[in-house]
Amino acid sequence: MASILRQITKTIRSPTVQNGVVSSVTRLQSTAADKVPPAETRPTVRKFDFIARSQLTDFGKYVADCLPKYIQRVQITAGDELELLIVPEGVVPVLQFLKDHHNSQFTNLTDIAGMDVPSRPYRFEVIYNILSVRFNSRIRVKTYTDELTPIDSCNEVHKAANWYEREIWDMYGVFFANHPDLRRILTDYGFEGHPFRKDFPLSGYVEVRYDDEKKRVVIEPLELAQEFRRFELSAPWEQFPKFRNAPPAIEEVKTGDKQ
Amino acid sequence: MSGAIKRTTGLTGLTVAKNPHQTLGTLYGKILRTLQKMPESAAYRKHTEAIIKERSDILKSTPSIEEAEKKINCGQIEEVIVQAENELSLARRMITWKPWEPLIKTAPPTQWNWPPAQQVPQR
Amino acid sequence: MAQVARDGLKQVRPILSLDRDEARKRVLNLYKAWYRQLPYIVRQYDIPKNVNDCRNKLREEFTKHKDIRDIRIIDMLVIKGQMELKETVNIWKQKGHIMSYFKETIEPKPTDFLSKFLTSKD
Repeated sequence: MASILRQITKTIRSPTVQNGVVSSVTRLQSTAADKVPPAETRPTVRKFDFIARSQLTDFGKYVADCLPKYIQRVQITAGDELELLIVPEGVVPVLQFLKDHHNSQFTNLTDIAGMDVPSRPYRFEVIYNILSVRFNSRIRVKTYTDELTPIDSCNEVHKAANWYEREIWDMYGVFFANHPDLRRILTDYGFEGHPFRKDFPLSGYVEVRYDDEKKRVVIEPLELAQEFRRFELSAPWEQFPKFRNAPPAIEEVKTGDKQ
Repeated sequence: MSGAIKRTTGLTGLTVAKNPHQTLGTLYGKILRTLQKMPESAAYRKHTEAIIKERSDILKSTPSIEEAEKKINCGQIEEVIVQAENELSLARRMITWKPWEPLIKTAPPTQWNWPPAQQVPQR
Repeated sequence: MAQVARDGLKQVRPILSLDRDEARKRVLNLYKAWYRQLPYIVRQYDIPKNVNDCRNKLREEFTKHKDIRDIRIIDMLVIKGQMELKETVNIWKQKGHIMSYFKETIEPKPTDFLSKFLTSKD
């Protein structure tokens, strides 16, 4: 009981509610009451916060309403995590909006991640994890690109982006336009290729050893004593029968004109 | 305590504001004038105007700084000033970005599918 | 017909250069920058090569990509070449990294049957 009380007081205190993202406290409670959460009893399934979820849903709608030019889709993943999927041209405006707007104040860039899915038309995804200290909230902004399409660097918005973008450049080969100091950060000088791409072999292409004759380190193409083995990992039986009827991991939030 | 002069905000690099009501008044005026340049229908303009109106009304009705802080409920008055400065610079940049226009381009149909093997578009 | 042609083409965002001439200019600039730097590289890294060997190697490295026509790929290679030049000039690299261009310790792979048999591969 005490925890519920604390949650409710948190909602009331939360400035998001007061500032008109959610028009009133009553509306928020009514939306929460509409979808009475079935009590999650399975011990292995993560329980999520329904209040946070409805707040984030409303916030997602609010952002999509403010920036219709850049936001392609708003979705909730894993129950209560908000993701904004944006066009690659909109990285700087969206992050600047989320940083400076009164109702968001996502001033902290926690991390930038990359993802490679070779089967997609644009194979790379760039994911910005941002944190609002003011509203105690974390959201994700995702965009896409391929090997040759540059993405605008968000270094002018968040200074933290400098090294993260260098890391993505080094690991995936995504080029960030207008980056002040784009160069390798993790790999060795003279290293060729981008190791986190899915088509980069696990063993790499070269091996490095000290040559006693030359008195220096030499780099040579990799030679393995064993042939490369392909491990077949698919099994004939069903892997997770308990999750056959699991709710989808991604739920799209209907925004603006789509409503 | 309430009568004592505030010596520090307790936040690094943020000094106590001299005359917060006046500073905020000019900042909010500037923001509203910047927002005037956007089209009436822009959602960003509507929402921001609502926030600014609400805050400036609170400031006008409460001369006491501490009470105003409580009513605005967004940190100390110095932080509120910083937020207003950020909003002003954002609004100015928004005029060049024009985010109220329709979507630039939609993603390729299978772009956001997850898991990726699932080639049928969701729904 | 024009519609079909337009549909076949993909609108892409340029990396640096807008047309072939600009890309060519960038490549030549990079080549010249490397070329001028070679004497200093030979002296500072104390490599067992003279400037002429390095010039041949530089030419070889550039002509390796002579058939590339896509402007964006050219730009990407130029960017990587510039980064490498910077690493070299600032002596972030070491002797081994410079010498790895020459691939001296790598034995060529056997091609004819007998030498394949003697190296007992396949």
